[in-house]
Amino acid sequence: MITRLLRLAWRNLWRNPRRTMIAMTAIGFGYTMLLFVACLMAGLRQQMIESGTGLLLSDVEVQAPGYYPDRPTHLTLGGRDGTDVNALVAAIAADPRVQAASPRVYGYGLISGTHQSVGAQLLGVVPDQEQKITVLQTRIVKGSYLTRRMPKGVVIGDKLATAIGVKVGSEVVLLAPAVDGSTGNDLYTVTGMFHTGLDAMDRNLVLMPLASLQELLRLPPGRIHEIAVKLHHDDITATMTSSSALQVQLSKTLPVRVRGWPELAPELADYVQFNRRVTFILFFIFFLLAVMGIVNTMLMAIAERTRELGMLMAVGMRRVQIVGLIVAEAASLAGASLVLGAALAFPLLWYLQVHGLYLGGDRGAITLGGVAVGPLWHGQQDFTAYTQAAVGLAVTALVSALYPATRAARLRPAEALRKV
Amino acid sequence: MDRAARLFISKSSIATMEMQITNQEVQRKISMQFWSLGESNILLRIRSPKEDAGTAILKVGNKIWYYLPKANRTVQIRASMMTTSWMGSNFTLDDLVKQSRLTDDYAITGTFEGRRDGVAVSEYTLTPKPKAAVVWGTITLEVRQSDHLPVRQRYYDEDGKLIRELTFSEYKTVSGRPVPMRLVMQTMNKSGTKAVAETTITYEKIIFDKPISKDIFSLKNLKQ
Repeated sequence: MITRLLRLAWRNLWRNPRRTMIAMTAIGFGYTMLLFVACLMAGLRQQMIESGTGLLLSDVEVQAPGYYPDRPTHLTLGGRDGTDVNALVAAIAADPRVQAASPRVYGYGLISGTHQSVGAQLLGVVPDQEQKITVLQTRIVKGSYLTRRMPKGVVIGDKLATAIGVKVGSEVVLLAPAVDGSTGNDLYTVTGMFHTGLDAMDRNLVLMPLASLQELLRLPPGRIHEIAVKLHHDDITATMTSSSALQVQLSKTLPVRVRGWPELAPELADYVQFNRRVTFILFFIFFLLAVMGIVNTMLMAIAERTRELGMLMAVGMRRVQIVGLIVAEAASLAGASLVLGAALAFPLLWYLQVHGLYLGGDRGAITLGGVAVGPLWHGQQDFTAYTQAAVGLAVTALVSALYPATRAARLRPAEALRKV
Repeated sequence: MDRAARLFISKSSIATMEMQITNQEVQRKISMQFWSLGESNILLRIRSPKEDAGTAILKVGNKIWYYLPKANRTVQIRASMMTTSWMGSNFTLDDLVKQSRLTDDYAITGTFEGRRDGVAVSEYTLTPKPKAAVVWGTITLEVRQSDHLPVRQRYYDEDGKLIRELTFSEYKTVSGRPVPMRLVMQTMNKSGTKAVAETTITYEKIIFDKPISKDIFSLKNLKQ
């Protein structure tokens, strides 16, 4: 019964191929555009999460309770006695959701070059491990990243280097309040400079080997401030689930506070939500337009076929079947449009993901929601959004067919037959 | 009032002092030596403990240098460094090597006359002048009526919350002038009701108006 109805509906659609083609192209192309926008929006979200978490923040940060956000130097993991850092890192890395984990030490101090001295944030890392968490090593513009051969080497932001008047190879003095109240000071060599496009990092951050910073701050090797964690999946939900699981797991042995990036960078999480909402609003606008298109096409089809419909009813087709026929026609129209739209979209989405969209601007990245977005905008396949769009469109088609269908069902056979 | 502000400023002074820091994290004692010539030449050198020994600070005019013995370098310091905790203490570098005189930045009104803790005192309230770039909302200063020596100085933020309190005691007459030999700076908790950390500076020895060569206040001598 339903197959017969669908076959009939399909045949009816092609009785006026031009109109059907126009409607199909309009809806199909609309669907293509929708996928295009969804893909770009998902790409933007992903890029923002990556650049927001990949430079400094990381996906999840494990710290002593009360350490964040003030980061007092004495509040290390495991308190005054510290902890077995390697064992803790191994315990975190053992979680299947975790891709990599790396210990960190933070300090605040003064960096002084040839003429000037400015305040700086000091970050001590284990270079080999840190590179699995963050991508700062890919943003080196001069010199090189930290190596094990240079325990007294530091990597600083390009703007910081300009501010204190130093080059790669220059000596700098670091001055920092140590944990015992004394003032740590020592001489270091600039081995490299990075440029991230984020002013706060390029102007303030000094990256150095973990052990060197511990020495400067008079922290013994077992005292660290944080373990930075990279996850396999870092969307908001997955991150929050993983961080709660780690919180429960690690609390068994050590007082810790585990925070996911949505908690550490709420403005970034807000942006991601906002981006999702904008995508949804665009979907909604498109569905409204699709309603117009389908209602119009179906009303025209009915007006044209008043006589025929009257005849069908006269020979015994029931009103329910008439409604069914019109709805089936709308459904086939929407279905065919979706297939057409998807076929058009496929190469486009592939191109977006692989090659990205060049946004121009030789000045490099722009800052959006507190993170840098590169000049190349890559798409990201968001199959949830694609399905939502398809289902939404199908539902829209069926709903918008109801009005023309009820109008058709209300026709009186005797009057309809007399129409030309 | 002006006399109180100029308490330790004289033609010259040489002092040995000890700073005892007590807070939740640290308990330490720093011993240092202090030279001053007029208002604009100051040299401060740390003698112990071992970790900080040799660190020295030189102020000439309104420029300030830091000598770091471990790095063997001299670093010029910006004004913003002056108003943060120095050596983990409750004093700032600005407190120790006064950059500016209170009377330049604040308007003064008398707000109390009478006896407190059995001592006749006058209290003055200092409010920032319109364009003064200062960190405090108001400062109150209590001086003894008998000799105008300071008793207590309280620092409030813009909301009128007490942030820290400086108390003077152990008055002595040195080189013919009366001075307090002991200064206690207390930092209050977040609600401004209780002291959470304190630093005591005790002058072991102080000599005023002894001729000092200007050469002491040079970058070369700083490294010594």
